[in-house]
Amino acid sequence: MDARNILLCGLGGQGILFMTKILAQTALAKGFNMMGAETHGMAQRGGSVISHLRLGEVENSLVRTGSAHILLALEKNEGYRNLPFLSNGAKMFVNAETDDFPVEAAKAFLKKNQVTYHTIPASALAEDLGAPLSSNLALLGFFSAFDEGPVSHDELRATIENISPDRFKDNNLKVFDAGLQRGRQKRGK
Amino acid sequence: MNREEILLGNGAIALGLLEAGCQVVTSYPGTPSSEILPEVIRLVKSEGLHTYVEWSTNEKVALDNAFAASITGKRAACCMKQVGLNVAADTLMSAAYQGTVGGLVIISCDDPGPHSSQTEQDTRFMARLAKVPVLDPSTPQEAREMAGLALALSEEFRIPVILRPAIRVCHARQNIAFNPIEENGPKASFEKDPQRWAATPKFRLTLHGELNKKLEKIGKRFEELPQVNFHNLEEGKSYPLGIAAGGVPFAVVRDILMEEKRDDIPLLKLGAPYPFPRSLADEFLKACDRILVIEETDTLIEYLFGERKKVLGRLSGHVPAEGELVPQVIHGIINRVLMELTLPPLPEDEDGEALALVQQLELPVRRPTLCPGCGHRAAFFAIRKAQPKAIFTSDIGCYTLGLNLGAVDTCLDMGGAITMASGFYHSFSQDDIDQPIVATIGDSTFFHSGTAGLINAVYNDARFILVILDNLTTAMTGMQPTPALGTRADGSQGKAVSLERAVAGCGVDFIEVVDPYGTKDMSDTLKRAFEYVKEPQGGIACIIARHPCIIAYREEAIPEKKKVAITDDCTDCNFCLDRFECPALYHDEELERTNINRQICSDCGVCLQVCPKGAIVEVEA
Repeated sequence: MDARNILLCGLGGQGILFMTKILAQTALAKGFNMMGAETHGMAQRGGSVISHLRLGEVENSLVRTGSAHILLALEKNEGYRNLPFLSNGAKMFVNAETDDFPVEAAKAFLKKNQVTYHTIPASALAEDLGAPLSSNLALLGFFSAFDEGPVSHDELRATIENISPDRFKDNNLKVFDAGLQRGRQKRGK
Repeated sequence: MNREEILLGNGAIALGLLEAGCQVVTSYPGTPSSEILPEVIRLVKSEGLHTYVEWSTNEKVALDNAFAASITGKRAACCMKQVGLNVAADTLMSAAYQGTVGGLVIISCDDPGPHSSQTEQDTRFMARLAKVPVLDPSTPQEAREMAGLALALSEEFRIPVILRPAIRVCHARQNIAFNPIEENGPKASFEKDPQRWAATPKFRLTLHGELNKKLEKIGKRFEELPQVNFHNLEEGKSYPLGIAAGGVPFAVVRDILMEEKRDDIPLLKLGAPYPFPRSLADEFLKACDRILVIEETDTLIEYLFGERKKVLGRLSGHVPAEGELVPQVIHGIINRVLMELTLPPLPEDEDGEALALVQQLELPVRRPTLCPGCGHRAAFFAIRKAQPKAIFTSDIGCYTLGLNLGAVDTCLDMGGAITMASGFYHSFSQDDIDQPIVATIGDSTFFHSGTAGLINAVYNDARFILVILDNLTTAMTGMQPTPALGTRADGSQGKAVSLERAVAGCGVDFIEVVDPYGTKDMSDTLKRAFEYVKEPQGGIACIIARHPCIIAYREEAIPEKKKVAITDDCTDCNFCLDRFECPALYHDEELERTNINRQICSDCGVCLQVCPKGAIVEVEA
């Protein structure tokens, strides 16, 4: 199998690493080899954070520009910032209000490169559920509704159940399920 | 099935050390090396091992300790970031001459980019300078194997060995299968041999001769170490272009050539580049008309090839001389060379349009900032208010971000806040200029490199205010304990070293401890300190601004939550945004005034003390 390249981006403190861990752990359980690259240190103090995840027989952990198949953006500007990574035909999942993404200037680019994008107000959704810091799980649940692979929502859910600390487990699953629900509604349209 | 885990590169290194029977691991935290020791501790606990671990006060101290362990016959490792090796360089140079008994690996993690460092220096050149072998892994899995290889080589040739993982190895994650770990280390014994272990210059000449002989032998070994040094030339075939690479760039080049099915370009991997595997390199030179060298971050392999006409790289201008060699950069380098040599190019990367679009969108620049609720912010606000005209020398840690508040003017190296403050003082006082100076340094950094500079400053009668920003942890690198806490690396209890007593021991007589959350208190103390600094009988005034780190001590850091709001009294003057720079305060375009981002506000309430118009007020929770 050719490598599957996934990018996750947002701001320091939004839980990008946890979201990556869930995806990676799920892929490992399915028998994929994986390489990932993370941001640590100074940049974690509120700066732009990007996490690379590559599934398959690869040695280098970084996704090259023009070769990401999936982009999960917890913040729309960070989503724009990482557009150069998208491959032709990539799928993009963005934490934003529907009419707030994409801006006019980006539409032509996304169309030309046949990028499909879906938006979910993940922050608002998580806050409504009393878990304002869990927008990462809302976005991940939303993404899983679209069956873009290589892992299914049931598999992701099982990982969340396994690796969440006990005191956050119920909340994490609740937010993930709510994201999934939104995704299914959107897909149904 | 064997146990398999997704490990950070630093975790894979920890595993490799323990699999190889490493009995002693010392470290000072620094990105990208910080997770090695915690991962060692995690595995030591889960496997029930007896490995000795410590957070040392600095890298030189760490290496001295590991070296002593090695000459008792134990296998030892010492972990640090690349600039930490500068601090430990004194030990490294001498230890290379004296040699080892048990295996000793120095793990020095490089930071091409740089992502979280002062420089992009290349540890492989430190190995060359000290005349010790260096291993350069491409992946976490290889770093794990090389950790064991380094210990074995060190023991066989009685020489310290450097393992140089770059940040994309340290902070890469990979699935790693575990092998059983057994403890089988020798018991400590020290054979006295003063001509070696306490060698005077006369014997150092002998030791240098021994070292040179060792290097010659190791160079030969590196020619026959196919797991780390190899090429894929076909017998008798010649090529217009070959690529030589090591470390992370090797993994990138290998992936690109595989993806593009370019088996017309042979690859020489140098995972053990020094001492240089000459005959292997010569085979490659002979078979290829041109060789492109892709290495991070400097020109070690390029220099060692010594064939300027055939070899392309940084010296020939084909590879950028600074910055990280990310895949798209390497793709571009290979393509440029292919086109120059009129060879078939790789498919063009089409990211130009996207980059132009990103430019056009003028996205907000996300600079790192101190966290909402951070005590350092309150301290910097008070410092700037009390001493607006001072020169602000600072240091390495989260608090470097005080530059966002206009309260940091310099950041040179570990401990530089204090030594630069004394240097500034003497330079100005020489010309009778009365220049106020406020130095800021963190608690861990003070223990690392502060005391020698402070003793020097006291002794030479420098006058400045020293603010030790004491957040009771080593925050930037991931909340490692400091000597002042008494908690050791593995959570066991040690003896706490009082910061106040350490400062007093350096000869400082004015020492006051304040909680910077009370910015008025802090300002008043600063004013008293300034008076003391100016008195003929005065001296250096030290203020310990103590407030627990908001991340390490979430509960204790904010004992009394205060919900704040902004009233219509806000005149949009931006004073709070410029001088307090809390990420929870932002300019609201619709309201045309400052507003509060509830999602990230920590309810610390410090901003209540900031607004000159009194427009930030406390409201019912």
